[in-house]
Amino acid sequence: MGEVELSCLAYAKMYLHASQFPRCSVNGLLLSSSPAGAAVCITDCVPLLHSHLSLAPITQLALTQVDAWCSQTQQRIVGYYQANACVSDSSPTPCALKIAEKIFEQCNNTVLLMIDGEKMFPSCRVPPIVMYERKDARWALKDKHAIMLRQWEETCSIVNQLFSSGDQTLLVDFDSHLDDITKDWTNQKLNAKIMELISPANGNV
Amino acid sequence: MSSISELYDVCWEEMRDKLRKWREENYRNSEQIVDVGEELINEHASKLGDDVWIIYEQVMIAALDCSRDDLAWSCLQELKRQFPDSHRVKRLAGMRLEALERYEDANKLYDSILQDDPTNTAARKRKISILQAQGKSSEAIRELNEYLEQFVGDQEAWHELSELYINEHDYAKAAFCLEELMMTNPHNHLYCEQYAEVKYTQGGLENLELARKYFAQALKLNNRNMRALFGLYMSASHIAASPKVSAKVKKDNVKYAAWATSQISRAYQMAGRGKKENKCSVKAVEEMLESMQITMS
Repeated sequence: MGEVELSCLAYAKMYLHASQFPRCSVNGLLLSSSPAGAAVCITDCVPLLHSHLSLAPITQLALTQVDAWCSQTQQRIVGYYQANACVSDSSPTPCALKIAEKIFEQCNNTVLLMIDGEKMFPSCRVPPIVMYERKDARWALKDKHAIMLRQWEETCSIVNQLFSSGDQTLLVDFDSHLDDITKDWTNQKLNAKIMELISPANGNV
Repeated sequence: MSSISELYDVCWEEMRDKLRKWREENYRNSEQIVDVGEELINEHASKLGDDVWIIYEQVMIAALDCSRDDLAWSCLQELKRQFPDSHRVKRLAGMRLEALERYEDANKLYDSILQDDPTNTAARKRKISILQAQGKSSEAIRELNEYLEQFVGDQEAWHELSELYINEHDYAKAAFCLEELMMTNPHNHLYCEQYAEVKYTQGGLENLELARKYFAQALKLNNRNMRALFGLYMSASHIAASPKVSAKVKKDNVKYAAWATSQISRAYQMAGRGKKENKCSVKAVEEMLESMQITMS
């Protein structure tokens, strides 16, 4: 199993999603716009649900729509993330494993990412994430050294900026889209804001 | 930092009315409640009359939600002073202990309320919430079931139980709870739609047909419920695609799915009008509908 790189954009949106619904479990899909290879580069994510994660219809619907969008935009679904409502428990739930299995059917290097709620505070030095990979027919913890988050300090600062400017409210997940279909679950507006914050710091993150 | 009244150009009466609306409709917009409520209490407490106590309670709970223990503490003190022996205030003190994760102390407080008054439902529910916060789902489920044997009409409790069962993947029991809720709230489209989702998740032809019927019922009660519309589309499509159904059933479900498709397309066309930003979601839906048409025929 190769390296996994997590982009600032993907990380920021996941973090915002978990922060927007602190009392709920949330989940979403991890996408890559890079070609398939030994290393996985997670370039974006789509926040999906904040309620009834284990019910089938909306999850199926979301997977189909994200699939359709990915083929239109040359991206692939390469993983799944989840943040549990119970902050002290960041282990994958049966529902998380099920969806990750489904993604694994199409993608060899599927990443299962759990957000560790206990580490989600501003001054935390380590990324609040735990990654799993498919090894010997089960999901095993990934070696921390094979996970790359470039420019971690910049990423943190960008997330903080989003909170202070109030832009974190721009995030739309699939659930919110179903409540109001004029809202855009691909988050074009928020993506643009985040890319603006990234570019002065570095050429590409 | 300018005040809420300056920022939004509202007077204290409007702030008080907003708080009432949020209270009556049970919104959990805690950050807003704290912002508006704190200012109202600090600047206009004398004008609020007897309303001030219920506002203290509302603001205190919102403050706990936002980790504002300073504000929660001062609200609690005011309430303790005014209602020294009240069980209602004691429960609030318990909630503050819960927020500080002092669960044993909170439980002791609730137990003392229940010793005095065994029918105090609020204290019992808080004890169940503590079990949930500690991740003890099976115990929470057991306690909630016992509670409902005594207080069979408590809608909130039935709904909470359905959520717990859904999390535990016990769909049959979740369906039972939702059936109770639908019986007592026949006009609530959300319960119909949730029930349909549970049935769909259980799977199998019979459950899919039930799901489709209840998605349809939800739509009848609220024709803008997008989850119900998509649910109807998906269940009808799956039934039509099943090799086990008769030609008539297949034909009927193809019709239902086609109707749902046209409604979905129409809804997205209207939503997408003039808005450049959701072109992506509109296109994704169109492609999904097209691809499922192919698999059905």
